[in-house]
Amino acid sequence: MKYSTFNQALVNPLIEPMFFGNSVNVARYDQQRHSIFEKLIEKQLSFFWRPEEVDVSRDRVDFHAMSDSEKHIFISNLKYQTLLDSVQGRSPNIAFLPIVSLPELETWIETWSFSETIHSRSYTHILRNLFGDPSEVFDDIMVNDEIKKRATDISKYYDDLIFHTQLWQTQGEGDITIDGETYTVTPRELKKKLFLCMNSVNALEAIRFYVSFACTFAFAEREMMEGNSKIIRLIARDENLHLTSTQHILNLWQYGEDDPEMQEIAEELKDEALAIFTSAVEQEKKWAHYLFKNGSMIGLNEQMLCQYVEYIANLRMAAIGLEPQYDQTSNPLPWMNKYLVSDNVQVAPQEAEISSYLVGQIDSEVSATDFGDYDL
Amino acid sequence: MTKPLRVKVNSDVLFEVPAQSDASLLQSMEQAGVEAHFHCRSGFCGACRTHLISGEVAYTTEPLAYVRRGDILPCVCVALSDLELEH
Repeated sequence: MKYSTFNQALVNPLIEPMFFGNSVNVARYDQQRHSIFEKLIEKQLSFFWRPEEVDVSRDRVDFHAMSDSEKHIFISNLKYQTLLDSVQGRSPNIAFLPIVSLPELETWIETWSFSETIHSRSYTHILRNLFGDPSEVFDDIMVNDEIKKRATDISKYYDDLIFHTQLWQTQGEGDITIDGETYTVTPRELKKKLFLCMNSVNALEAIRFYVSFACTFAFAEREMMEGNSKIIRLIARDENLHLTSTQHILNLWQYGEDDPEMQEIAEELKDEALAIFTSAVEQEKKWAHYLFKNGSMIGLNEQMLCQYVEYIANLRMAAIGLEPQYDQTSNPLPWMNKYLVSDNVQVAPQEAEISSYLVGQIDSEVSATDFGDYDL
Repeated sequence: MTKPLRVKVNSDVLFEVPAQSDASLLQSMEQAGVEAHFHCRSGFCGACRTHLISGEVAYTTEPLAYVRRGDILPCVCVALSDLELEH
């Protein structure tokens, strides 16, 4: 099934499945099979921001006043986030665009991935301010074992899907032998790989960022590294939106609102989906251990962070129909929420930003409650 | 004057909300002392997802988060009838 950048067959995108149907031809957004992706594109565009808008110059003073263990926590988290966004800035495009079949979903994937590149650019912005030459930090990402362990786990499902899609698109279905190794390529196998990959991406967006977010906001609670915290709040808001999109995809499959075969696969691979999630939770707890190996920081320790990972994992699991696995049902870090409320996000001090703001548009939505005060 | 609506959460918290409330259901829950889960408070993240055991709600903003069957997003809805919730 050779990929074409403009599929000339007449196809009706209102009846195509999200993935593995006919490839997209006309990029049109006046009609959608799944209108949610069009809405997510609009929302993501309304969130647009640039790292340079946030003044991080005061952070340099704060950083130099930190203890060595706090510096380790701060820099390690930035390295991990750099890894996550390096992957996310390209992988949804490379893995999902060759197999997507709906124009609104295709553009959502591109919009999503683009916003991750803004996150990557903001890490350079933050690090450039802290160090004259941030190369040492970036170079360590490629040799640091703790980071590399996570990189393997994060990229393996993407890589597997990408490789098998390439085999399918160049050689077709069947047993294909490359360098002495045989791979079975069938539409069903490809869909299974897609399902596992989507679960892995969902777990990434759902919990992998949150240990790092918690440390950033714990510094902000002490009025330290506030420029960095403003940037991370913008990133957290974007990530919440990305998570919503993977939750939509998984739920649409599960409820049979898209490809019926994907509904079967979702049922068949439920245990594997759960295992992907719980293994991400365990990795994040190990990451918390690594962060605090030289000592804690004020207001946060390994135990609290692990409880937070479990708390948030329970919420995220329920959102995709997985049974919550952890005892932690209350939020051990209640102050986190004020940094995650989207309308509190503020860029420049003079510009309190409202997330529903859209350039050149007015809010034309009227609900019955708007007339609550009128008597006729 | 319409009668206030009764909201029961996790079978242990019971409170009343005005029939035409300006506050979101999430705000009402918080005012009643429920330790509510939330992040975005604008309907796109889904962190406040709550199970609706009985009753009816109306959305003031269309939620972007996926609302699974039997669930509601209290940050963007108000009560239309007496409610029983699991949060």
